[in-house]
Amino acid sequence: MSRRGFLTATAGAAGAIAAQPLLAACGTGGAAVKAGAASASLLQRILPHYQASSLIKPDYASVAGSSPAYLTYPSTLVRTVAETPGSGGSYTAITPLWGTIPAAGNAFDQAVNKALGASVAVSPANGNNYSTILPQLFSGNKLPDWIQVPTFWAPPLNFGQAAADRLADLTPYLAGGKVSQYPNLAAIFSSGWQAGIWDDKLYGFPSYTATFNYGYQLYYRADLLDKLGIGTPAVKSMDDLWDLATEVNDPKGKRWAMGDIWGYLYQPFNYALWMLDDKGNLITQYESEGIIEAMNWLAKAIKAGLVHPDQVAGNYGNGVTEFYAGQMAIVSDGSGAWNAADAQKGQASNKGYTRASFDFFTASGSGTPKMPLEAATAWTSYLSKSLSGKQIEECLRLADYLAAPFGSVEYNLLNYGVEGVDYTTTAAGPQLTSAGTQYAGSAVSTYNFLVSPNNTVYNAGYPAVTKASASWAQRNAGYGYQPLFYELNVVVPNSLSSANAFTPFNPTSGITYEVARGRASIADYQSTLASWKRNGGNKLKAFYEGVLTQQKKLGSA
Amino acid sequence: MITTEPAAARTRPPLARLLDTAQRPSWQERPRAATQGAKSGAITLIVLVVLIPLYTVVMTSLSTQGSINQAGGMVIVPHGLSLAAYRDIVSGGVVGRALLISLGITAVGTCFSMVVTILASYGMSRAGSFGHRTILWVMMLTMFFNGGIIPLFLVVSALGGYDQYWALIAPSAVSVYNVLVMRSFFASTAQDLIDSARIDGAGDWRILWKIVLPTSRAVTAVIALFYAVGYWNSWFNIMLFMPSDSSKWPLQMVLYDYLTQNSQMVNSAAAGFQGAVPTLALQMAVVTITIIPVLIAYPFVQKHFTKGVLLGAVKG
Amino acid sequence: MTDAATSTARPPGGSAVAARAAATLPAATAPPGAARPGRRWWARLRRDRTLLIMTLPALALLGVFGYAPMLGLVMAFQDYDLYDGILHSPWVGLANFQQLFTDPGFWQAFFNTLSLFSVQLILFFPVPIALAILLDSLLSRRLRSVVQAVATLPHFFSFVLVVTIFNEAFGGAGLLDTFLRSHGVTSPFDFMTDPGTFRLLVASQLIWKEGGWSTIVYLAALSAISPALYEAAAVDGAGYWRRLRHITLPGLKAITVLLLILNLGYALSFGFEQMLIQLPAVGSGAAQVITTFSYENGIVAGNYSYGAAAGLFLGITSVIFILGANKIAHLLGEDGLYRK
Repeated sequence: MSRRGFLTATAGAAGAIAAQPLLAACGTGGAAVKAGAASASLLQRILPHYQASSLIKPDYASVAGSSPAYLTYPSTLVRTVAETPGSGGSYTAITPLWGTIPAAGNAFDQAVNKALGASVAVSPANGNNYSTILPQLFSGNKLPDWIQVPTFWAPPLNFGQAAADRLADLTPYLAGGKVSQYPNLAAIFSSGWQAGIWDDKLYGFPSYTATFNYGYQLYYRADLLDKLGIGTPAVKSMDDLWDLATEVNDPKGKRWAMGDIWGYLYQPFNYALWMLDDKGNLITQYESEGIIEAMNWLAKAIKAGLVHPDQVAGNYGNGVTEFYAGQMAIVSDGSGAWNAADAQKGQASNKGYTRASFDFFTASGSGTPKMPLEAATAWTSYLSKSLSGKQIEECLRLADYLAAPFGSVEYNLLNYGVEGVDYTTTAAGPQLTSAGTQYAGSAVSTYNFLVSPNNTVYNAGYPAVTKASASWAQRNAGYGYQPLFYELNVVVPNSLSSANAFTPFNPTSGITYEVARGRASIADYQSTLASWKRNGGNKLKAFYEGVLTQQKKLGSA
Repeated sequence: MITTEPAAARTRPPLARLLDTAQRPSWQERPRAATQGAKSGAITLIVLVVLIPLYTVVMTSLSTQGSINQAGGMVIVPHGLSLAAYRDIVSGGVVGRALLISLGITAVGTCFSMVVTILASYGMSRAGSFGHRTILWVMMLTMFFNGGIIPLFLVVSALGGYDQYWALIAPSAVSVYNVLVMRSFFASTAQDLIDSARIDGAGDWRILWKIVLPTSRAVTAVIALFYAVGYWNSWFNIMLFMPSDSSKWPLQMVLYDYLTQNSQMVNSAAAGFQGAVPTLALQMAVVTITIIPVLIAYPFVQKHFTKGVLLGAVKG
Repeated sequence: MTDAATSTARPPGGSAVAARAAATLPAATAPPGAARPGRRWWARLRRDRTLLIMTLPALALLGVFGYAPMLGLVMAFQDYDLYDGILHSPWVGLANFQQLFTDPGFWQAFFNTLSLFSVQLILFFPVPIALAILLDSLLSRRLRSVVQAVATLPHFFSFVLVVTIFNEAFGGAGLLDTFLRSHGVTSPFDFMTDPGTFRLLVASQLIWKEGGWSTIVYLAALSAISPALYEAAAVDGAGYWRRLRHITLPGLKAITVLLLILNLGYALSFGFEQMLIQLPAVGSGAAQVITTFSYENGIVAGNYSYGAAAGLFLGITSVIFILGANKIAHLLGEDGLYRK
């Protein structure tokens, strides 16, 4: 019955919320105002000193923080870790996995453990329930030796406190020059390590570190525009985008110009979650002028019939398929959409399928484009406080192995498995076998969630994709800037957590969504904003102003 | 036993034999052509309206990525078929074990629920019995007032139910809705039959067992079906009480896993899906697999509440 | 409602008596040993102790898993904070309710719920009954079983899938609109996003999804009507429609009234999942119902007290609805939920 559905959705859709009540049983008090790491000099002392390692020269070097890219897989692999790192220790670990959970103790796990010289038993848990498992493990003190905690699920756990109570402080082992005995760890960008700093101490190992990490970019179907005779369009302003959209739009031919590109609009219209207005005051993006212009633009576009009806109706599930089908020419999506898997799927029905991306631009067409960066990684893993010093050192050596960069023997084992069993070497690079797809392969290999080297771009069998995406990244990484509170693990007090959720502005159900669809006016938006401010928003702003002042005093803002 | 059936069967027209049309009772009028037409039309409409979407679901589950791309979503005219989605789900043996677990939970849960429900329904069905209306209201209030999932979770885990199979059965063992329906059917069991049995010295247990239940086969079948479907479909309780121990998961949870696969992938360098099954095909395959056991089991239950059975009972 | 017991015991006398027996309320005569006014209550308790014992298992289960968690509803009178828990959150009396009743969004949700429910009651409720009668009238057993099984299938589709299927057919990029566009209609009507026709859409989705499944209970009731009654009536000269009016419909009356009352009881909690999925498509003006409102403003915003207050309000009004509906049923001479 309907009541059933009510409860079901509560558990499923708001997984993090369902998790919280377990902490209520513990009755931990309100969290104090604690930020990640305070002053710049302190940061200098805590952060491991970065030492670049370039085993193989990438075809597309890192420019302004973009991820290095490789067109081919190296034929000779380099060994980065001379001796077996482990000393026979045995550890348990828990990581999330979005995919079929492989059977425990399979051949791949055994091979990895043999190479490590220690037993690391990883229990992958369903990624979609992961946020419900975390509080139970923390509050019930059932932590494994090594656990992955994504930063976006850390806040409900009162992480500053949790880290001090339950997790191993790695600062004495890795800070500053101490990391040099672990060359692979030292090669991870500092931005990655910063994400694992809580209360001025280093706790976390970073995975998938990418300095140039952003939310959305604007993609288009290059082959489709070619077919229409438009070629490669130069979109340097929102007006350019509008002109292109009207040219491409053809609903009768089942082709709409765009999907719902709201997610991307913060880039050209230049707003970030926390920013300074013209007078230098702290405001949220919802108070900016840019967001009003963005809403108006999208509303106009939807009214003119330029946006795919399913996207207007909020049915985003089929969005990628509709892009492959050519029903939408321009979409906004994250960087993870531009890879070999995408090319393979898109070309399944259309050999010419080519995804391309516009460079960042400004709404008016003048000035330098800006893109606020996101944290270099959200994936941080932690060791349990119950481990002894010797065990921690062993884990660090294991981590050094796990962080071996692209082109190394170790990286090959961790991401492709054992040759002949999990993969075969072809002209286009390593090709996973069916066993490999099930057990090895970075899609399934959860060792990457313990620690992994800097993100590198390599698309086996699709060098064209690498060429396009890597050169795009090199061109646009320079537009990235660190917004306010960048990588500052700010812990907001409980009384403000409701305001910090910004619920009235939810991108798919909030007021911005309704205005874009013409069901609410800008005046309605302003009254919603005023109401949010009254119900905790102003207090939240005051809190963040305090953090800002603190940062300024310590010289890091 | 005189019967003219064999002769009649031999001479019955093939369509009638195919449709298994019973002989029209002598007292029933021949239907007019218009009525026949209207009825056939309605039936055809109903069947089409259900089967066509079901067809797209099955077709999409058998489609390749190319086919799905061309259609831009659900597939009606396929451009490439593949069993990859089903192979992906069934391989690995996880589904097999989950199926057995589901069957076990459904069987045990349904039996348990039926016993409790039959007892409670009968216990409240006799007019004038002491306090039956109060008890009824006590039960009904739970249908409308609900503390939410948080208190429910606290209660169950306080009783040690976390990660236990009984947590999948006990909290939803009693559906007051089902109790009310069954009670209504029981209440109309002829009182004179019961009274004569009572005069004969039968207690309530015997009356329930020997008189009320045998004459309530239809409603028992229906309520058992409701419970069985409820247990079979439920994954909410599993999400709440058994989220991490995947070796204990029933079918619905495993299938939910497949539904959410591919939906969130990490931005990683070597995330090369070689030959990944299209997500939509996977989702539709999950839906199809969920329906198959129902299609298999349904006919067995169906005959308990359709007229044919009771007709036979009356003839004798 | 007659049942099989009456039918096996051949009704004495002719068809008229049979017809009357079928049409009367069951057990109209006071059974011996039933409550006689003035009988001591403990004597009744002793006489009915077996019946009471029979209800114990269900009561115990509901007590533990129904009533114990219900205590959580006290959240409605607190300013519930997750970290303080129920025991330590401050009490605010009726403040949450005050906030609820002064929220225009809440009243919009309230009236939306009532209007959506009324439309589905008128359009959807009769469908399973009609379908059951239709199926019952089929001579072919096999055809009846097949059609019934087929019609039941959509019940097993989740609402997400139902909305997807409807979207494929009626959405802006769906079959109907594509067809219209290719024949010159520039902006064809989008059934899935039009707030004005949303009620119709909701009812049609319900009919498609639950119509077949809901016939099961009615089929069970129909199967309990003795065919001898039909035969007797036909012999007396009653045509199809008269038989329908005097035998079939009365046979279904009790269960229909029961389900109607229960339906009314659930009126205010109508349509959570179905509305939640379609809120983005038509907007909250058309699709916001009490349960989705409570979800968005309570659970999603982390304001559990507010959600609990809405839930409590929902429960109380549902009980009032059911009491009212039952009263009306009694006034019309029906048993309703329970006999008076």
